[in-house]
Amino acid sequence: MSSITHLAERIVFGNRKVVVFLFVLATLFLGYQSSQMRLDAGFEKNIPLNHEYMQTYMKYRNDFGGANSVLVSVCDKQGNIYNQNFFDTLKNVHDQLFFINGVNRALVVSLFSPSTRFTEIVEGGFAGGPVIPADFDSTSPEALQLVAANVEKANIVGRQVSSDYSCAMVTAQLLELDPQTGEQLDTLKFASELEEKLRNQFSSEEISIHIIGFSKMIGDVADGAKDVLLFFAIALAITAIMVYFFSRNIMLTILPLLCSIIAVVWQLGLLSLMGFGMDPMSILVPFLVFAIGVSHGVQMINAVEKKAVNGAGAKHAAMSAFRTLLVPGGIALLSDTVGFMTLLVIDIGIIRELAITASMGVAVIILTNLILLPVLMSFLTFDKKYVEKFAGKEEKSSRFWNIVASCSHKKAAPIILVITALLFGFGFYQSQKMKIGDLHAGAPALHESSRYNQDTFLITDKYEVTVDYLSVLVETSPEACTSHTVMKAIDDFQWKMENVEGVQSTVSLASVAKVVNAGYNEGNVKWQVLPRNQQTLVQAISRIPTTSGLLNGNCSVMPVILFMQDHKAETISRVVDAVKTYRQDYETDDMKFSLASGPVGVMAATNEAVKSAQMPMMAYVFGAVILLCLLSFRSLRATLSVVIPLYVVSVLAQALMTFLEIGLTVSTLPVIALGVGIGVDYGIYILSTMSRRLKQGDTVQAAYLAALKERGSAVLFTGITLAIGVSTWVFSTLKFQMDMGILLTFMFLVNMLGAIIVLPALARLLWYKRNEL
Amino acid sequence: MKKAFLAMALACAGFSANAEQAFMAPLVKQSVLLDVVATDYLVIVGERGHILTSDDGETFTQQRVPTHSTLTAVDIVNDNVWAVGHDAIILHSADKGVTWQQQLYNPDIERPFLDVLFFDDQHGIAVGAYGLFYRTTDGGNNWKSERHPTLLSADDQAYLEQVKAEDEDFYQQELNSILPHINHVTLDGDTLYMAGEAGLLAYSNDKGRSWNRYDVDYTGSFFDIRPLSGDTVVAVGLRGNIFKMKEQGVWSYVSTCAPSTLNALFPLSDESITALGNNGMLVTLSRPLPDSTSTPYTPLYQCERPKEVSVQQLDDKAAVLNAVRFNNKIIGVSANGIKKLNLD
Repeated sequence: MSSITHLAERIVFGNRKVVVFLFVLATLFLGYQSSQMRLDAGFEKNIPLNHEYMQTYMKYRNDFGGANSVLVSVCDKQGNIYNQNFFDTLKNVHDQLFFINGVNRALVVSLFSPSTRFTEIVEGGFAGGPVIPADFDSTSPEALQLVAANVEKANIVGRQVSSDYSCAMVTAQLLELDPQTGEQLDTLKFASELEEKLRNQFSSEEISIHIIGFSKMIGDVADGAKDVLLFFAIALAITAIMVYFFSRNIMLTILPLLCSIIAVVWQLGLLSLMGFGMDPMSILVPFLVFAIGVSHGVQMINAVEKKAVNGAGAKHAAMSAFRTLLVPGGIALLSDTVGFMTLLVIDIGIIRELAITASMGVAVIILTNLILLPVLMSFLTFDKKYVEKFAGKEEKSSRFWNIVASCSHKKAAPIILVITALLFGFGFYQSQKMKIGDLHAGAPALHESSRYNQDTFLITDKYEVTVDYLSVLVETSPEACTSHTVMKAIDDFQWKMENVEGVQSTVSLASVAKVVNAGYNEGNVKWQVLPRNQQTLVQAISRIPTTSGLLNGNCSVMPVILFMQDHKAETISRVVDAVKTYRQDYETDDMKFSLASGPVGVMAATNEAVKSAQMPMMAYVFGAVILLCLLSFRSLRATLSVVIPLYVVSVLAQALMTFLEIGLTVSTLPVIALGVGIGVDYGIYILSTMSRRLKQGDTVQAAYLAALKERGSAVLFTGITLAIGVSTWVFSTLKFQMDMGILLTFMFLVNMLGAIIVLPALARLLWYKRNEL
Repeated sequence: MKKAFLAMALACAGFSANAEQAFMAPLVKQSVLLDVVATDYLVIVGERGHILTSDDGETFTQQRVPTHSTLTAVDIVNDNVWAVGHDAIILHSADKGVTWQQQLYNPDIERPFLDVLFFDDQHGIAVGAYGLFYRTTDGGNNWKSERHPTLLSADDQAYLEQVKAEDEDFYQQELNSILPHINHVTLDGDTLYMAGEAGLLAYSNDKGRSWNRYDVDYTGSFFDIRPLSGDTVVAVGLRGNIFKMKEQGVWSYVSTCAPSTLNALFPLSDESITALGNNGMLVTLSRPLPDSTSTPYTPLYQCERPKEVSVQQLDDKAAVLNAVRFNNKIIGVSANGIKKLNLD
């Protein structure tokens, strides 16, 4: 190992100017590339496409629209929609939405769409027509009265008109591909068009516009994600101040920050080069890369400073730091990289992107902060004053380190370990109660007070619709809807599902056909049954168009739509389990009840994917960390000393999620992997010194004290700096960013504490044979 | 031990067989319920073979029933209960609606019963779609079909006579399909009243063996007919239309200006009666019932609601099918289940 280090040292420091020149060149090129970086969001990246449910979802997306819809509620602030201004605005909103690029124009529905019709039963049979007649004149009070009467007859109050008659809805489905370019639809552009062309244009003194749907949500997330620049600036400032206090030298402050920023630039440039955009959901990754970079940079300046204080020149100090840190730093960063790469096993696009983004960023740090940084530092000169500044510091801090080092004292160590074990037991118990999925109403990525969630609450409050629905797709043979047996099975299944706790209401072709059949019998509810007579059944079904979303063209597929009370994971899994139980009573070779479509169907799949990914992900991350530790320390005991505190902390983080009601979701799932990846750095740095000393025959406590003197201040410092930087996310407009901020702050701090308190105590236990004080 | 195990196994087997027949649904009280009847106990029937019983009008118990067919009507005589419905099903209970046996089931005729009426615990009739008419004289052990061509309008009767003279087979075919739906039968003393499809109102003085059709100037359907104290008879039907009969055979129109189909009449007091309808419409008329100058075909905007008529609507706009007074409460059944109605 050391011969490689020496070779690397000779090459790098033998050609310092060349190295710097190459880095400048690469930075210029990748900097240009990163400036081409776009925000990029897509619906399908957020879902586990290979999950069984999503296979069904993808298969029938074109027939029944997917889960990617947009709902625009136009509200009259006076509380009554029947006035000229409202109807003019509603028509404009309808037309405007119709023409926004990316909308599936066949599926734009409002009072003004021709498919919105009323039917009434009269002596001679049915009478009906469009709710808004072709010759509608909004200025005429009679016309408005007529529309009001038609709205009642059409039975759309609660769906297209709010229950209190203060709002009306325009809904649309989105296309996955942009019809103009044939490429993936630009969701963010679409969202900003919704904002500009609908909300900004039509909001007024009298009218308010409320928009919900995945596209709008992701647009709002992207807007919120732009704040990340502010957080970045704040974190940068805090870090700079802290690094200055640590290094007492402007250049030693600037250089690690500069190298870390270079790492971010490279990462973004490489991503852009690979054709990736930055997804708002993974906007935090550059931030993390920066933080990790600083953390390693501080180790580097710490090492340089220690040598410089002992009188070495800058170049020799830098070379020595390079030599001692290349291996532990490299191992630490490599385990980060591998740790993040393990996220690739999770079959959700967005997490894979995160895995690539993060692992690439961390890999880049090996170059920037372990090579470029010492090379740049070797050009510095340290004057006497600088050296003197640190002269007394060593003494002062060594008293502190003596106290800390007693963590590995034979009396203290068992106490620490017992407390740790207790904490672990408690944490483990709590972590079992961690919830999967979104625990709160509205869009989980955003705060409850956000515009989007307020709009969601308004719409779910004023209308009887809910955005939380799950479709079970009944797959059978063509023309099956004309079979009483098939329809009866659907109807019975639907009734059983309606009785499941958490299901608010249900609808299917069967239930609508029953109502139509009553309609054919003068609206007599006693006829609200599925006719046994095939012609009569056909007659009822023929009145239900495919645009209702209740059947496909040849009615071989019919969804049973279950509207849910909420989208909590427990509710979802209860309903999904009920589907799996009840469908056994009705499934035949020719009739399958397949899960699932609809937003909750997507959530069900995602929850299941996340849940089933959690264990393997942890196993892979820890597997990678263990393997790299074994390779670098060649000691099982050393590896255990590093990994056990890490594991305890990650369990505690899960317990924290239970406490703070943070569910395990696509956005929080990677946090633990990230936390472990970063947390391992502390242990590796400390143990690299310790294990060297232990091999030389030191006692555990002496080895640990030496490690603390060499690395302790840097470890403490990075833990605190990173935690402060990340904790600023608590103020983010994005809920998931806040959650990640809390969790990462916790993991940074507690991993640091684990490394300086639990690690030595464990080491004491593991090297118990050493004669000790 | 072995015996006990066997008994348990049998009990389980029995239970699961029953469970297959009836799904005990938490939401049964909110399901489509179509008729209610009460004496000192109360029975409700509805879709999917739902039967609910109650002793106090507060708690309702779903009973295990050997059918999934939608039940449309129910009648009580002492402890005997009969429920009828789709697939030409007739169920009987001899213990106030707790256990049920099937007396008739004939899905192949594709016709539902829509009402059932028992004169005593042996004699009863079940009526329904396309003139469906069954009678029993032995408490329902045997049911025999009857046809009553006299329920047809004069024109149709003349046409049938003509057919009968020409071709007996074709006559039977026509008779099978031409008869109107019988929606409701009401017994008042010795007189049996009937309401049905396409303007059918009729009465019988011999327990329904022969019928006299009233001449009403309306071709829409009627869903209930009920004599009030005094000589007045009221009938309600499609699109909120109400007709009253003061003198024998003379029906006149009562305008309500509330065009929702009225399903049943509920006598509120000696002074007033409430018609229960679709869209949650509850139309209360105070007596004497007003005369009207308009007809069933007068456009709504020209309609003037008489002061004797007051209209209220349920919040959920559920169709109300029937109601009874029980334990000082008015318990209605609707497309959204049991409703306590506040009409007083």
